[in-house]
Amino acid sequence: MAVSMSKKRSGPVARALQHGDVPWSFILIAMSGIVLVLVVLIGLSIWQGSALSRQTFGLSFIMPNADTSWDPIAEAFDAWPIIIGTLVTALVAIILATPISVFIAIFLAELCPDRLRAPINFMVEMLAAIPSVVFGMWGIFIFLPTVVKPLGDFLSSTLGFLPIFSGTMPASGTSRLAACLILTIMIIPTITAVTRDVLKAIPRAQREASLALGATRWEMIWQVLLPYGLSGILGAVILGLGRALGETMAVTMVIGNNTVEQSGSLLLPGATLASVIANEFAEAVTKVHTSALIELGVILFIMTLLLNIVARFLVWRVARRVPEARA
Amino acid sequence: MPRSTRISLISLLIVVAVIAAACAPAAAPATPQVVEKQVPVEVTKIVAGTPEVVVVTATPDASKPALPDGSVQLNGAGATFPDPVYTEWRFAYPYVDPSVVINYQAIGSGGGKKAIADGTVDFAGSDSLLKDEEYAATPGLQMFPTLAGAIVPVFNLAPEVTTTLVLDGPTLVGIYSGKINKWNDPAIKALNPDANLPDKGITAVHRSDGSGTTEAFTKYLAAVSEDWKTSPGAGSAIEWPVDKAGNGVGGKGNAGVAAAVQNTPYSIGYVELSYATANKIAFAQMVNAAGKTVKANAESLASAMADFGDKFSDKLTIDRISNGSGEKSWPISTYTYLITKMDQKSDPQLGCAKTEKFLNFVHWALTDAGAAKRAADLGYATLPEAVRAKVFDTLAKVTCDGQPVGSDISMK
Repeated sequence: MAVSMSKKRSGPVARALQHGDVPWSFILIAMSGIVLVLVVLIGLSIWQGSALSRQTFGLSFIMPNADTSWDPIAEAFDAWPIIIGTLVTALVAIILATPISVFIAIFLAELCPDRLRAPINFMVEMLAAIPSVVFGMWGIFIFLPTVVKPLGDFLSSTLGFLPIFSGTMPASGTSRLAACLILTIMIIPTITAVTRDVLKAIPRAQREASLALGATRWEMIWQVLLPYGLSGILGAVILGLGRALGETMAVTMVIGNNTVEQSGSLLLPGATLASVIANEFAEAVTKVHTSALIELGVILFIMTLLLNIVARFLVWRVARRVPEARA
Repeated sequence: MPRSTRISLISLLIVVAVIAAACAPAAAPATPQVVEKQVPVEVTKIVAGTPEVVVVTATPDASKPALPDGSVQLNGAGATFPDPVYTEWRFAYPYVDPSVVINYQAIGSGGGKKAIADGTVDFAGSDSLLKDEEYAATPGLQMFPTLAGAIVPVFNLAPEVTTTLVLDGPTLVGIYSGKINKWNDPAIKALNPDANLPDKGITAVHRSDGSGTTEAFTKYLAAVSEDWKTSPGAGSAIEWPVDKAGNGVGGKGNAGVAAAVQNTPYSIGYVELSYATANKIAFAQMVNAAGKTVKANAESLASAMADFGDKFSDKLTIDRISNGSGEKSWPISTYTYLITKMDQKSDPQLGCAKTEKFLNFVHWALTDAGAAKRAADLGYATLPEAVRAKVFDTLAKVTCDGQPVGSDISMK
């Protein structure tokens, strides 16, 4: 009997099933497959939904044009100013948020006294948990009048010669700058949390080796930890960028929603792809209008995809240059 | 390689199975949450306040007092403009007929139209009129007005002007086209000779989201100005000339417009009357088509409706009731509509009772004094007698599976 049992066990199928490895791997692959299927299905359905708009406007929909319009009555739509608005707000937000977040993360992972660590960690995570509509409310009633408007006026009077600070900010403070700053606050917790975990995951030996070679703490952080964790930090930045590109409610509430302003100036009201969709989709009564809004969704989809590919490429480059770095 | 091929094949199968499994419960009708028969009728009135306890069927049980047979859930979706009133109505109506539970999702007029055309709701709310092609695509659609509302210009001119401001149509057109861009413009001065109007630029705030409020407002602007009518025109979302001029700001929702106006010195915006009064925002008086200065209230709204009387098209719609000729008429007024189907399909469980209950609800909403008071308290007005009669005449012809329905409307 013992012989027959061991014989059974030694069969290839039985052996594979014995410890559940194969069923497990199937389940895991299946779960990952769901993500793939979802992305493909969403992509397909918005591609089809935008067919009418793509036929009607063709490439001119996304092309730069001196006199763009977004006119549901005349059914003339140009996405160029909206694309500009999305890119400008997301990129400025990421440029502002990355150093702040990385510094917070370094502090939390390396320098923070234990007594402070828990409260700061908690605050950072709290910041991530605030619903975006609350950020929007706070933005409209407190942040815009007290911070954004004075800052905007200052930038306008000192750096007004730069195209990105041209024009005068509306008295309410609603502008791309307001959206950038709100987005910065919103993505700081994302980047901070991931960067902190990346830094913490770096083996102790790395730190000790560099200190033993006579490096100061600052040199250890700057020359060992950051390069080692660079690809992970880049991943964190990408996560933040994704949130900045797609953030809807808070941006809609503070950006001023001007769908034709195409200078890209931070001080003027603008619009982002996500905010225009959120604003107009519910009451879009004509087919072309609906389809044009769905095409904005396609653009956002492709934009996110492209940025992700670029980011992967960056991570890959970094990983090759710094052999020990792991994402 | 064959091993990985096998793994991917099997995993694909599992994906399909999982998706099928995930979809199956959705495809199968969700188990109706049947409220036990023992619940007395008095309790169901309270139940109406908790929407998750939806009475779908009443199981027969002779021993205890029963829920009325044929309890019904009516589903609606659409316009946000009348939503405050519809919400009040649907919570009040179970006290009239405890067997009816009404749902209304304020997803926007466009969404409402799509839902009624797809047959996913029993009725839809809409501020914008159905187009000919929409009538053609879904035969039997019928719009009828339910309420009228007023839109008011709100302003922030503190500290110079805090109480009253008088505006007229051409001035509003000028402001929203960007042609009048200073508060001390002669056009505004002429209307407000005593006001201390500042030499400041005007920030014009408009809705950034598509809205029945915007549609009514722009219809008024188009009614007073031929130029506005040609471009940009009137609709639930338009391209604002004042945005191109650089003085425009879009706020999301009534709240967004109100906040922008309150936070922006020397700004102007437009919101529903109820919103302005509830939030104590200063709003302007208007010079109407008869040349009289009027305030927005129930009386001036009623006068605006009376100006257009029962001049409804054969589809029971009217293009606008703004810029009416009456001396007391508030010029920026609008009707909001419900859409239903003239021939309804009988419900598998309830037969034609559903259609009957829907019509009874409409009858109650349009005739009951309490329903009218709830609307008036929110700054809306119910229909004048002549219009109501037209609505009932049409709705009396609603059929269910081709058969006439015995509702209050047809017995009227």
